[in-house]
Amino acid sequence: MILECRKDKMVISDPCLCLTPAVAVFNISIFRDCIKAEQQKDGKGIWIRSSLKSWGTSKLFSLLNSLIHTRLFNRYRDLAPQLVPDDYTNKPDVKIPYELIGSMPELKDNPFRQRIAEVFSEDGDGNMTLDDFLDMFSVLSEMAPKDLKAYYAFKIYDFNNDDYICKSDLEKTLNKLTRNELTPEEVCLVCEKVIDEADIDNDGKLSLEDFQHMIVRAPDFLSTFHIRI
Amino acid sequence: MYYAEDGITDEDIHPLGTGVLWKTSESPVANEFSPKNGLRHRGSESQWGATDIQPMQQSRSFQPWSDTDLQDEDEDKPVKEFCFSMQRKREIRIKQEKQGAKKNTWETWSRDYKRSFRQFQSKASESLQFLVLWRRTINTIGGNFGTGIASYFTFLRFLILMNFVTFLLIGGFIVIPNIVVQELNVVQTSQSSNTTGLCLKYSPNPQGLERYYTFIMDILMGTGFMELTYMFYGFYKNTLVILAAFYYNLPLAYLTTTLFYFLLSLVWIVVRSVKGFKQSLLTENTELSNYTSKIFVGWDFCIKDPRIIKLKQKSIRYELQMDLEEENMRRKHAERTTSQLAAIYSLRVFLNLVVICLTGAAFYCIYLSTVNSQELLINSSVKGNFILELLVGYLPSITITAANFFLPIVFGIIILWEKYTLNWEIRLTLVRCVFLRLTSLGMLLYSLWDKITCSGKPHDAKCVTCGYNIDEYKCWETRVGQEMYKLLIFDFLTVLVVILLVDFPRKMMVDHCSCKPIQFWGQQEFLVPQNVLDIVYGQTVCWIGTFFCPLLPLLNTVKYFIIFYMKRLTLFTNCRPADRTFRASSANFFFMLVLLLGLAISWVPVLYSIFAMTPSRACGPFNGQTNIWDTIPITIQTLPKTAAEFFLFIGSQAFAVPLFFLCCILMFYLIALASSYGELVKTLKDQLQMERSRKMFLRQVTY
Repeated sequence: MILECRKDKMVISDPCLCLTPAVAVFNISIFRDCIKAEQQKDGKGIWIRSSLKSWGTSKLFSLLNSLIHTRLFNRYRDLAPQLVPDDYTNKPDVKIPYELIGSMPELKDNPFRQRIAEVFSEDGDGNMTLDDFLDMFSVLSEMAPKDLKAYYAFKIYDFNNDDYICKSDLEKTLNKLTRNELTPEEVCLVCEKVIDEADIDNDGKLSLEDFQHMIVRAPDFLSTFHIRI
Repeated sequence: MYYAEDGITDEDIHPLGTGVLWKTSESPVANEFSPKNGLRHRGSESQWGATDIQPMQQSRSFQPWSDTDLQDEDEDKPVKEFCFSMQRKREIRIKQEKQGAKKNTWETWSRDYKRSFRQFQSKASESLQFLVLWRRTINTIGGNFGTGIASYFTFLRFLILMNFVTFLLIGGFIVIPNIVVQELNVVQTSQSSNTTGLCLKYSPNPQGLERYYTFIMDILMGTGFMELTYMFYGFYKNTLVILAAFYYNLPLAYLTTTLFYFLLSLVWIVVRSVKGFKQSLLTENTELSNYTSKIFVGWDFCIKDPRIIKLKQKSIRYELQMDLEEENMRRKHAERTTSQLAAIYSLRVFLNLVVICLTGAAFYCIYLSTVNSQELLINSSVKGNFILELLVGYLPSITITAANFFLPIVFGIIILWEKYTLNWEIRLTLVRCVFLRLTSLGMLLYSLWDKITCSGKPHDAKCVTCGYNIDEYKCWETRVGQEMYKLLIFDFLTVLVVILLVDFPRKMMVDHCSCKPIQFWGQQEFLVPQNVLDIVYGQTVCWIGTFFCPLLPLLNTVKYFIIFYMKRLTLFTNCRPADRTFRASSANFFFMLVLLLGLAISWVPVLYSIFAMTPSRACGPFNGQTNIWDTIPITIQTLPKTAAEFFLFIGSQAFAVPLFFLCCILMFYLIALASSYGELVKTLKDQLQMERSRKMFLRQVTY
């Protein structure tokens, strides 16, 4: 965790994530008061930055947990307030079931929401821990690099999880994209055309390399494969 | 900045993490493929489990986790770019830290430097994001209506910025020095030579009875008192200001600022379009990846509104159906017999002639209206009536706008008869509309030129005394500036009127009236190309007019500012997303191309006026000279000898001709390089295919 004090807010960035999970907008004077109170206990009167350094991480964050409302953590907790504890210092093993994840406004009407939840969940069943949740929004954020997004996009479109996008995967994707309103012949034709265009090694299905090769030629990918939260 | 990451301690408490201890990983390799590690690793598992023969296939992100040290590249790669679960990424990060501690000072320093530089970069780009104007608005528009329409608004924002910078340049170098000089009543040395007294008569304020509406009329037409403000060219004087050691040559400043901002606009647009060009070059042949992009890249994950999602799904379906139909049509076209082909080609030739005739008719109307507008205004027959005077004064603008409104509709009907494929239809209509818009402006300027210089005949009765038509155009530059000013105002009024009186009623009718024709007409669709052409047209008018009317960029900035908000309003309340999406990447390139075209066209009248026309004797900063350009040679001669010789050399043919040949050689070299790169790309693609088939073969052979 990298903690940085700006004028009136504190930014926590996790180097494992592509986005800043917490822009804490809180009154820094309250924070200073708390630190002063702690300092008086320890008998040290030093400035915030060095005082933070002299503390251990756990002490700092258990204090912060009571003050900071981290944006993503709040979103996660709001999905199931009774399941998710406020305090993660005891490493609880909490998973939010897929039905609740799929009811988030960002994902509610997305035709691929089930696949997204399955890909990012640990067990592949759509139930997500906080880590999975953070990971999901990190990959889908603006800052994530193209290769990372391409990898996960491939996983999302690979419905049967065989590491290839075969014709049946394409048909399912197409039906989700067009609400099943294309005729079967049209679906078949389009799937054939896609495989013709993208399959370089001529095995009748798309591997990850084919997919990545195709993504290179699509500069819009970074802006479309993106969820804002 | 403080790394609160000392969490590699015994306490190992992660504030937001789920409970996994951050122990150093001494787990055996087998652990990595346990199902607990989730879907993420099934990919790597099967790759490695099934085939571990092809080391060339590995991308680093599929490296199995092992107890050994991280590879060199992985050491410095930021953790967030790995394709693993959060838990795995945290373990990698610990590994990186541990390995980092083992290195010597130089390596530690370079690693730290790289890391902090990377963080600085990301922070800088993040903070720059906040400076960007309207970022959130454009993001919302992109989310709801697609990236194509958002790119229109990005383009508009770019133009606002460019106009504002131009205004700052002009304000700083032309207007403010003039104001300062006037206010301080500084002694000015006039540079105008003695000329014929007849040419010097210029009084924009008419004597005699002034009607109450003259003030409004003057503002709308740019005549009267407006001609004596900083707004128009005619007000600036041909003076040198010498104050102690301070020397300011106002005409030189005027000319060089004009040339400078033209160059600046060119450079800025080219730099921006290179980015777009690189991207569209990457997409190579869109026909090769048409379907794949529509399916894998077409879905915008940002959309939240279920209505818009339904519309998006409908539009994807519509596009795919259109593409399949176009395939069909193309196949049928290929099977046309010779007689059918002949019939089609002759029909196309005939229809192109019709288009040319219609365009010619429009140009003739513009010519007539420009010529007659000036004459009618001078003859007092319409002077009494406010409305008539306004109408006559704005006649050229009205004609241009009417032509640009009706003719594209006609073009749209004609193209249907020409039986092209859909893509070609769109392209050809766009080309015709661009041509019509930009050349109608050219026609207006041509008709003005015709009147001012008596059709280019300097010995004509009216033009022989002063070099230009002194009867009708006592200060011709101001007159040209006034025409551009009127065009700008009328364009702005048209946009406002169309939004208020066409879009809103249409929406209300569609909402409340359920009769068939109106429902068929449907809600307004936000057509990006037409809107882009509108603002490029406005920008071209501004560029042409800035030389003659220095405060025009400021007016244009304000105009585009208001148009941004009006368009956003009409988009959200009145419009539905287009049936056929406009791809953002190709869109940017197209916008820049049309803008460059507009810039090129705007240079022609300005450069012609500078080099080939006699400046007005009675007004302006260049009165008394034979050409506006003469300021520069005169100034050069006042420079010290070596500098003067240097500049003369640059302007001479001894320099220009070798430079031209050098540019030609460079161009040929670059063309050869580009074609050889194309060959290289093709060879590499073939090689790639060969490698893949080799891999398949080996895979089969092993099993």
